[in-house]
Parts: sequence; C-alpha cells; structure tokens
Amino acid sequence: MTDQYPGYDVLAKRRTPSWNEQTRQAINGRLAIPREPRFLSPDLFAVLDAACRRIIPQPTERPPVPLAAYIDAKLFNKQSDGYRLAQMPDQGDTYRRGLAGLDEAARSQHGLGFTAIAPEAQDEVLRQAHAGKLTGGAWQGMPSKTFFEHRLLNDTVTAYYGHPTAWSEIGFGGPASPRGYVRMALNRRDPWEAAEAKPGEEARARRENDHV
Amino acid sequence: MGTSKPTGDTATAIAVLSGATVLGGVALALRQPRAPANDTRASLLPWVERSKAPAVPPLDSKATVRAARRLNRAAGTIAASVLVDSAIEHYRGAFHNEAMVTPLISASLSLLASVHGTADDRRGAHVARDLVYAAAGLTGLVGTGFHIYNISRKPGGFSWQNLFYSAPLGAPAAISLSGMLGFLSERLRNNTTDSRPTILGRPAGRVIGLMTSLGLMGTVGEAGLLHFRGAYHNPAMYLPVTMPPIAAALLGASALGEAGRRKPLTRWWLRFTALLGFVGSGFHIIGVARNMGGWRNWKQNLLDGPPIPAPPSFTGLALAGLAALGLLEDHPDD
Amino acid sequence: MSDPLAAPRAIQGRAPDVFREGGWVEMREFSESEAVDFVVIGTGAGGGPLITRLAEQGFSVVGFDAGPYFRPLEDFASDETAQNQLYWLDERIVDGENPIRMGGNNSGKAVGGSTVHFAMVSLRFRPEWFKSRSLLGYGADWPLDWREMWDYYGKAERALSISGPVTYPWGPKRPRYPYRAHEMNGAAEVLARGAEAMGYKWSPTPLATVSAPRGDSPPCVYRGFCRFGCSTNAKQSQLVAFIPRALAAGAEIRDLAMVGRIETGADGRATGVHYFREGRWRFQRARNVVVAGYAIETPRLLLNSANDRYPDGLANSSGLVGRNLMTQSNQAVYGSMKDEVRWNKGPPSLSITEHWNYDDRKDFFGGYCWMAQGPLPIEWVTVLTGSLGLWGEQLRERMKNYNHQVGVKMVGEMLPNENNRVTLADETDQYGLRIPRITYSWGDNDKALVAHALDKMQTSMELAGVRDTFQQVDDTNHLAGTARMGSDPRSSVVNADCRSWDIPNLWVCDGSIFPTTGGVNPSLTISAIALRTADRIKALADRGEL
Repeated sequence: MTDQYPGYDVLAKRRTPSWNEQTRQAINGRLAIPREPRFLSPDLFAVLDAACRRIIPQPTERPPVPLAAYIDAKLFNKQSDGYRLAQMPDQGDTYRRGLAGLDEAARSQHGLGFTAIAPEAQDEVLRQAHAGKLTGGAWQGMPSKTFFEHRLLNDTVTAYYGHPTAWSEIGFGGPASPRGYVRMALNRRDPWEAAEAKPGEEARARRENDHV
Repeated sequence: MGTSKPTGDTATAIAVLSGATVLGGVALALRQPRAPANDTRASLLPWVERSKAPAVPPLDSKATVRAARRLNRAAGTIAASVLVDSAIEHYRGAFHNEAMVTPLISASLSLLASVHGTADDRRGAHVARDLVYAAAGLTGLVGTGFHIYNISRKPGGFSWQNLFYSAPLGAPAAISLSGMLGFLSERLRNNTTDSRPTILGRPAGRVIGLMTSLGLMGTVGEAGLLHFRGAYHNPAMYLPVTMPPIAAALLGASALGEAGRRKPLTRWWLRFTALLGFVGSGFHIIGVARNMGGWRNWKQNLLDGPPIPAPPSFTGLALAGLAALGLLEDHPDD
Repeated sequence: MSDPLAAPRAIQGRAPDVFREGGWVEMREFSESEAVDFVVIGTGAGGGPLITRLAEQGFSVVGFDAGPYFRPLEDFASDETAQNQLYWLDERIVDGENPIRMGGNNSGKAVGGSTVHFAMVSLRFRPEWFKSRSLLGYGADWPLDWREMWDYYGKAERALSISGPVTYPWGPKRPRYPYRAHEMNGAAEVLARGAEAMGYKWSPTPLATVSAPRGDSPPCVYRGFCRFGCSTNAKQSQLVAFIPRALAAGAEIRDLAMVGRIETGADGRATGVHYFREGRWRFQRARNVVVAGYAIETPRLLLNSANDRYPDGLANSSGLVGRNLMTQSNQAVYGSMKDEVRWNKGPPSLSITEHWNYDDRKDFFGGYCWMAQGPLPIEWVTVLTGSLGLWGEQLRERMKNYNHQVGVKMVGEMLPNENNRVTLADETDQYGLRIPRITYSWGDNDKALVAHALDKMQTSMELAGVRDTFQQVDDTNHLAGTARMGSDPRSSVVNADCRSWDIPNLWVCDGSIFPTTGGVNPSLTISAIALRTADRIKALADRGEL
C-alpha cells in the first residue's frame, strides 16, 4: 500500500492560521483520550477492540487510532446520535448485547473467544453479523445487521475518520479556521493542502508536504 | 446557464479593438521619426512662418520633453500596478500555465523603461524603451486572448459568474495601457524643437488626451465589474465608477474642444482622480484587514480580499491625462 | 471561556455579542409574573425573524430556546466531531418502513436553531406549489398567494443578504440577490458540466453566506465546514442575522430554556409556558404563545400540553397535530474523477439545477432539484459504509480517493401522508417529558420520484466524465408538516396567519405549518412566512383582533 500523500501530516498545521484555539483544544482532547475502558467490561472491550481492528485495519506508517477507546468514551459520556431505531435498546445495551453476541458466535463456531480466533475468522463472524445471520443468546432479539451497520460499523468509521491520522492518510486539509481556501477550481491546490504523489513524483509531493 | 449573459460579443469586440490598437501601436513604434515639413520651411523662410502663424507660442522643447517624461511616469505607475496585481492574481492561479509569468516580465520591463524615461530629458525616441512598450502592448493583447479562451472553456461561457471569477477579461488591457502611454511618450519626444508637438501629424495633446480618456473608461469598466461582484457593499465603492468617468469626459471634451485655454476644473478633477488611485489602495488594505483572520491570515486574504495594487491604475491614467492637458493648454492651435 | 452548555449566557440584562470575542450586548429582561405580548418557543428559521419583527413593531417578546447561546468565533471548532454540540441529540425513537435519521441531519439545538449548521441553500418555492392540489393535482393547497409570498421572499433574502446569481434561471422574475454568487468550486463545476450535457439550465446556488462584507460579517473564506457551524460569521444564520436585531429592538432571549408545557386558562386561551432553566421549572406568563420548534418538537409540545380541556393536545381538534410529517428525499450519485476535485473547499452546494422542479413531463407528482456536494470525511465514510457496505481494507483504500470524489445530491418533494407522523412515546427524557416517536414510510410516488432523480443524476454525472458512479439510495433531509396551515379548521391546524384555529392566542410559526414541502430546501420559505406572520399580527393588533 503506497502512501498517497507522503510526508503529509495535518498536525503540522496546528500552529498555522488553519487552526484556531478552540480547534486545537478539541483535537488535543481527542488525542488524549483514555485508552482504558470506562463503560464496557474489559472482556467486551477486548472484543470491541478486535472488531474495530478488522473494520478499520490500522495503518503501519502513521500513529494508530484507539478506536475502541472512542466508542467506549461515547458510551461512557452517553453521547447519543439523537435518535434510536425502535427495535434497538439504548446504546449501552446495544453494545453489551452485540459484542457478547459476536463473542458467542466465535465460541460456537471456533471454540475460542472472538479475540482469540484468526483475523480471517473474525472477518467471517463480522460478515455474518452484517448479513443479519447471528441470532439468539446474547442478541436477545436484537437484529445483528442493525447492530453491525448502525452501531459498530458506523461508530468505528466515525471515530477513525474524525482522527488526524486518517485525515493525513486521505489528504484531507483538516481544520480550516480562520484560514479557509483560495484556489477553488479543479486541480488547484492551496499551498497548505496535502500534495498528492502522482506516479514518479513522490519526492516532489513529500517536499511540498513538508511545507503545508 | 443561458439566461445570464452580458453578451460575449461585447467582450470579443473589446478584445479585438484593444488588439487592433496595440498592433497599430507596434507598427508605429517601428516607424522612423519624420521631421514635419514646416520645420524646413520655417528655417528657410522664418519671416513667412512668423507672419503666417502669429499665434504660435515661443517654441518650448523643454515643455514637450517634460510632457513626455510625465507620460513615462504614468506608464510606470500603471506598470507597477500591473506587476504586483498580476503577480498576486497569477500566483492565485498557481501559474498553472507557464505563459502566466509573461505579464510579470513585461510589466517589470515597462516599469524599468518608464523609470528610465522619466529620468531622461533628451529628445528623440529611445529604441529600447520603444521595444519594451511595444512588447507591453502585445502582452496585453495576448493576455486578453488567453483570458477569453479561459472563460469560453468554462460552463456558462461569458456569464456574469465567469466574468467575476474566471480570468478577468479587462485586466490584461492594463499592461497595454502602460505600453500605449509609453509609446505615446516616445512619439512625443520625436517632435523636433521648432514645432508644436504632434503625434501622427495630429496635435499630441489631443491624441494623448483621447487615448487616456478611453483608457480611463476601460479601467472604469473593470472596477465596475469587480465592485459589482462586491455588491457595492461600501458606498466608497461607487467612487471609481463615478469620479474617473467624469475625468474621462472632461479630458475628452478638452481633447476635442478648443485648445489653448486653461481648464482648471479638468485639471483638478484629474488630480483628484490620481489621488483616488492611492485612496483606493488604502480602502483595499482596510478590506484585507477586515476579512476573517485579517493580516495574520495574509496568505489567504491578500489573494481573496480586495486587490491592493489595482487602484493605482487610475493614478497612472490621471497622470497621463494631466500631461495631455498641459500640452493642450500650451498649444492653442490645431 | 465559559462552557455554553453549562449555564445560560443570556442573563442579567445582557446577551453574548456574537461578533466580538468576549463581548456582550444589552438585553431587555421581562418579569415572569407579568404577561408579555408574545412568547416564542424556538429561535430558528421561523422563530428568529418572528421575534425580531414583533419586537421591532413594538411588542414585548421573549424567545426561548432549549439550546445554548453560542459565540461562533470562540465556541466553534473546525471539526466534524466536536460540532455535534450543535444538534438536537436528545433521544427520539424512529420507526416505520423508512425511519428518518435524526440528529445532525435535520435538527438544531442552539439559539438560531438549525440555521446555525444548515447548508445555507436559500431557494424560493415554485409558485404553483402554493396551490399544488388545484394546479398540480396532489397534496394540499396553501392558504397563501404566491405573489404575496414573492414579496416576503424578497424581504427574507434582503434580511439574510443572500449571495445569488445575477439572474436566476427558473420561475417568475425575482429581484436581484443582495450579494453576488460565490465562486464555484470544482464539484460545482462538474455539476454544471453534467447539467449542460443533459440540456438543463444550472445556476450558482443562492446561499445565505456573504460574498462580500456585510456589517460585522466578513466574507466567506471557503473553509467548507458550513454544516458544522460557521466560525467566521460569514453565514447568515439566525444567530448572526436576526437575533442581534431582535435584541436591539428590545426582545429577550432565554437560552438553555426548555419549554415543556403550554398552560391554558379557564377561557381556553393560552396563559403562558412552563419552562426548565437553571435547574428548575419556571412559568412565564404571556398574552400570546408562538410555537416555533420545528416539525418534531412543535407537535411534541402541543401534544405534551394536553390537559382536561384539550385531552388530545392543544390546537388538535382536527386530529392533525403530528400528522402529515414530511421529509425530503436526499439521495445522491457519487463517483470519482481523475482530476483533483477537493470537494471540501467552499460551501458544499455551490451550484444547482432546478430543472425537474419546473419540467412537468414526468409520471409522478412533485419535483426535485440537485446540488453539488462536498461531504467532510466522516460524512463521506458513512456514505460509503451505508451505500456500498464497505469495511476493512477495501474501505480504507476507497477513502484514500477522497480528494477525487465528486457527486450531486437531490432535494426532492415527498408527499404528505397522515400516517407519517409524530406521536409521544412512553419513555421520558431528562426533563421528564415524553419523547417523540417518529414514524415514516415512503409512498409509491416518493419512490418513483427518487428513481427518476437517481437515473437523471447518474446520467448527468457520467456525461460529465465521472467514473465509478454509485447511488446513495437511503437518505432524507429537512422536515415539514405536523401542524399544517389551511383554510378549513377541519383539515388544518393553523390558518394563513399561522394562528391556531382552536386557541386564538396560540400560533405555530415554523416548517410544521407546510401543507406540502416542495422540491427545494425549506428554510427561506419558513423565514418568509415568519416575516409575513409578524406583519399579519401587527395588522390584527391594530384592528383589535388579537
């Protein structure tokens, strides 16, 4: 997997006019997230952590993102999305049941807990949940498809793509206030935007990304 | 977009006209100066000349060269404005086309030639300056062509939206104006000592006055378009679309009307127009400061805010107008 | 810097000055025990203009908002996640065949309401929509004349300094927008190319963010975080455009003040509102009560205010409070380009085609427009997971194409249906109030409209050179209905003046009153009706008919 935006680090703009003070505080808070679970039990937290690693494989070349910690914090702080599908219990119970359900599926199919089975086997269990095939036991009638799509998948990717590591990876400009953008047209890059490495131009992109 | 077009034909017509003007200018620049016929006669038969034309004032070579130097100064002022403005705007356009560096070079040379000309109190056109000014005129022509092409490729074509935000149609004409004024300056220097100055056989004051008047109107058009884009959110934004047109009208009237008379109103109006150019830059500096992030966010606001170097184009044209007016006031006869 | 959510800011005779860091403006305060002329519940697209105009016409007015009083320059981070603070995130239950996603999509909890994070798209209805039953054969007629609305649209556009095209390509002539349209970004240009290839007209979108300075608002800097709160005040939200005017005219704003019940007296008229602020329930007496809480909270409050005299809730003799909820279809077609589009730059919807709002050659009712898109990373990834079911390595790879993505998104008219509705669930919220249950199912006409739009959008994108296109089929946005306006008390909740048929001093002034929702974003219409309502109230007061 090649680095599309070599050397681009959105955090390098922290002290530029692209970041105001309230943004610095918000991102600092995000980077300082406690890694230990405060809502989920350690066992369920481990299941969540393993599932998150399959949903978003962590990049090797950039700082990893503690996805499970973000979801646990969301549950701990009771951060609602503002709505709940009628067939779902509240957020905390949804996770308790769903994660236990994933673990049960791993035990029944592989004789080992979700965290202990091979990554490919974990993917298979997650695919079953995505397809709505996991029922009974810990699920208590909660549809596994809804759990996977609306909760686990949604919360995991929301946490990852709300993190500077992901912004750097995809070449997103990141915070922009007070400084926004000037060059609006197609194929025009402002000097403080990520430079994409076209084939054969990795060195040039890296040089430009050193100065965003 | 279909419904919102200030007619592409007009834009094309303006481009063709300005192009023809510049081409004509280049051709003239390459012509050898020719002594007016009456010079010879005057030296041979001084009494005849004197008796035939008693109204001719004492021949004043210094005044003619002074007017020429004023024109150099005017051309330089515009060149300086174009240099900085095109540098900023083309940087904004990321110099995506290598030709976008041309106006910077051309305006720099025009500026140098103008400084040189302003300091030069000799008669006779200077070949290097002439070439530089001709190149400036040509640059404006080619630039206008590029800008027309750029707009025509955009969805919506010659729509208000593209006139506002695509390559500005009127901007390259400014470098042509600088070239034109410089070129007129050189023609003026070609007048021999013993004549009232002419350009192409026509009284120089009238020629320069008319060309400057036209240039002012073109610049008003550009300012009007951009201030319309800014919705005239500040009443001061009406100044560059009201003061310079009156200056152009007064100057035009002077150029076409009776010469040899004092025109205090025209003179003062031109002076104020010259001042307006600098005042405009001041307003634009304030405008940049009040944009989000102010000067701390200069990398954005210098490009997105009102263009600071643009208004002195009016100063340059007003200076040229004053030079023309001086000639008109000093030389009563046609 | 204080926490706007921790304690009210509009207290002790002053309110935050949104234009100056740490600044305050004077605010008049009214006694709870003396009846004010008007209590307005909600300060968004409906409440904001109404509070302002009522105060400017000399009425005593208190505006309530359950949300905080933000200072955009200090409180708004340039960040998708942190700006969740702008939304109404209290629990709501959604069901039906097509449950509506709430939260950030279509709710706001702040002084200024959802205009604090709306996409600023400010469009007028097509005139025929005000008489869609008579002229177009569907929905219900509005008791309003489009020509009168045209004037109020103009007033709303001037008050919000809308930046729009020099001439707008559709509909009857309208006055020039106060400000010029914004420069278009790459995504907007792709829409234009697609529209031209289809033979459609297109236009820069009229937006409520200034393209040149206006008062204390600097011009837009094209940050692209518009839907997460404008930290520069270029956006003309109610918080920035109307509320400061309201304060200057002597209105009081109470932030972090949740109205839970409207009280009625022995004569059946409203007497005031019970509201929760600073840890306890309070009561504000009022001669008139205006509900402007949008299509969920408005019916919820009316229903929660049921009492012995009005056992089915206030203003509900028609049984229509909460019914005819409408959202708008918000499907999209996305794809990739070889070009670097960088669609996050600038406001998200810089160009539009309203072609199918004005072309009736189609075999379903209603119309739609579509606009350029510029989702930020979190929104974009949820599109990929929701529409393509991607996760794992595939998802991460696809996300790396972020700067090359482009797309268009529709705003489509859904038809009113009595079974789409807001009711009260048995659960209660942090105030002890029953929470709303929102039931929604798309009808056949809605599905036909969506299919038509997806097909046209996809073709236009492909003609514009977009590759790997896919459709986002499941998305809706905006709300309307639930307290519809009409000319018959049996089939509507309020009359043309937004006055309830049942209780003459109870009014509703927000998107709830829409009998039909049209194929354009609703906020400008809500604000125009609010301006009209203020004028009507003044006229009625002058005639002694309040």
